[in-house]
Amino acid sequence: MQTWEEMKELQPLAGQMLMNSFKKDRISHAYLFQGNRGTGKKDMALLFAKSIFCKEREGAEPCQHCRDCKRIDSGNHPDLHWIEPDGQSIKKEQILHLQKEFTYTGLESNRKVYIIVDADRMTINASNRLLKFLEEPSQQTTAMLLTESGQTMLDTIRSRCQLLAFQPLNAKRVEEKLVQEGVSESNAKLLASLTNNLTEALEMNEDEWFANVRKLVIQLIEVLQNKPNEGLLFINHQWMPHFKERTQIQRGLDVLMLWFQDVINQYVDRDDAIVFVTEKERLNQATMRWSRQSAAACLTYVLEAKQKINQNVHPNLVMEQLTLQLQR
Amino acid sequence: MKFIIQRDQLIESVQNVMKAISSRTTIPILTGMKIEASEEGIKLTGSDSDISIESFIPQEEDGIVYVEHIEPGSIVLQAKYFPDIVRKLPQKTVEIESDNNRNVTIRSGNAEFHLNGQDPEEYPQLPQLHTEDSFELPIDLLKNLIRQTVFAVSTSETRPILTGVHVKMEDGELEFIATDSHRLASRKIPLEQPEGKALPSVVIPGKSLTELNKILDDSEDTIEVSVTENQVLFRTKHLYFLSRLLDGNYPETSRLIPEQSKTIVKIDAKELLQSVDRASLLAKENRNNVVRLITKENNHLEITGNSPEVGNVVEEVLASDVDGEDLKISFSAKYMMDALKAVDYDQVKVEFTGAMRPFLIRPVDDDQILQLILPVRTY
Repeated sequence: MQTWEEMKELQPLAGQMLMNSFKKDRISHAYLFQGNRGTGKKDMALLFAKSIFCKEREGAEPCQHCRDCKRIDSGNHPDLHWIEPDGQSIKKEQILHLQKEFTYTGLESNRKVYIIVDADRMTINASNRLLKFLEEPSQQTTAMLLTESGQTMLDTIRSRCQLLAFQPLNAKRVEEKLVQEGVSESNAKLLASLTNNLTEALEMNEDEWFANVRKLVIQLIEVLQNKPNEGLLFINHQWMPHFKERTQIQRGLDVLMLWFQDVINQYVDRDDAIVFVTEKERLNQATMRWSRQSAAACLTYVLEAKQKINQNVHPNLVMEQLTLQLQR
Repeated sequence: MKFIIQRDQLIESVQNVMKAISSRTTIPILTGMKIEASEEGIKLTGSDSDISIESFIPQEEDGIVYVEHIEPGSIVLQAKYFPDIVRKLPQKTVEIESDNNRNVTIRSGNAEFHLNGQDPEEYPQLPQLHTEDSFELPIDLLKNLIRQTVFAVSTSETRPILTGVHVKMEDGELEFIATDSHRLASRKIPLEQPEGKALPSVVIPGKSLTELNKILDDSEDTIEVSVTENQVLFRTKHLYFLSRLLDGNYPETSRLIPEQSKTIVKIDAKELLQSVDRASLLAKENRNNVVRLITKENNHLEITGNSPEVGNVVEEVLASDVDGEDLKISFSAKYMMDALKAVDYDQVKVEFTGAMRPFLIRPVDDDQILQLILPVRTY
């Protein structure tokens, strides 16, 4: 249950812009919300949809308890279409369904809203299909595309949407809040740099699996530094059994990336930015092993590996290649 | 909510309503069936958002009491289980009761089911249609209108508006038009227009009409048709069928129909249909199912199908009358057969305007049915 006031606190700029466009009755036909995880894109999209459909709103504020608002919350509103990736990507069929939906008149009113979550994960075919009706919107249609990486969207789609950048939440603030919730300081730092979402961070903190991730990353670094010959063995025996799902591997790589960021931070003496505060000694050793340039190169390798995982390359192969690259 | 109902009545209604419910829907609540009890009777609603069907069971009809002990209320039940439960209940009467926590109890004889219901507030609100803007026509006529046009709607989604049937009312005539841009089917019937009210012309999705055609029984009862901004309602005595409309402007089709013709062929529809069918046998897969028609002397027509890899077929048919210029024309056998089946008269008149222009098929002495087909260019 969010209100515009709360939303504006979270995202001052984007919230204000949407509120104004609503008040002045200048709702655009398509919006592209871009921002990191946990920056409130979904909440904002839901709130905006409620403002559009709610019949008892005051100003821009939806009432939150009428039939329309309730049904938007439960996903049962017949004129609000919610598209989420089906498996790895948003398929052509999903967009086709949407397209069909929009050639029909609305079920209750003629106002229609569609929200596409993770819009960057549309296949090329799907994007091109979507383009067709982004281009020729019927009058009372509003599209909201949500994405974490606006740059990977087709230019042709970007150019047809009003872009709204969601600012990353202040990591410091999240960190402080986590500490208030009783998370240890070193963990709070790590969690805050992985996610902006407070509840998610707290869940991860409770999770034994995640505690092991941190341990494994540090072990991997150890192996890379001191026993270069055992790198591949370590990957096969310790690393892979722990990371079974794609999302889990991504998480692991995120943490690995933080390590190399720390190495660079160490070089440039940005002590307060360092995430692995308890591992000072190891970091010092690491600066002996990796120069500033090679640490930067390592970051690139990790990013590439992340991308490959998304592209369905076999995780084992990706990790093996990555270890070889990092040892170089 | 509480009521006791005759099982047979309930089964029939449930079966009708189930036709609208699809298990593959993006809106979770639509997997359910809405049950509404009021003093007048019980109303069941099912929907897949494109079409919605409401079935009404009156409290009593012709002195026969169907529903007793009604306490008004409403609930949404899982459509996956409810129909089977009702069908297999042991006794002639069924008691259905729901409490404030949306727990539903279905009782019949010694059997007792407890189902978890869903909030009826979550269910889409169907528009309350005004009965003033409506017209009535016999069910069998409506079924004919649908049958004679709906086959010609487009199946491709590239021009979505063509997947519907254009229904308009003009000068005391009701007209159904469907086209997929290669052929066109149209049927008019005279209809008394309600005084001073012009019904808006609408485009009804072909799929909805096909579905409606399946649900309606052939009978001479009347059906009432009402149109609103975004839905159309077909209403028989106890069955309401609602469909969403297609959004957009239907292309202007009246200009497509040629006014003069150069060659007019009058022929027995069945004979032509059968010979085209035979000629198409060899040309089925490739070549778009094309057959060729050539006018010969003495009112003879030659119909040929040719497929170089397979072979060819030639057949001569005797027409009752061939008037005008000689002609060689090729067309899709499927379209021709569909059109001839839809015309549904013994004698038809085929009007050609040259090999590259569309041609018309009409009954000899009935102007209300019209089928138009575009020829195929061959070399």
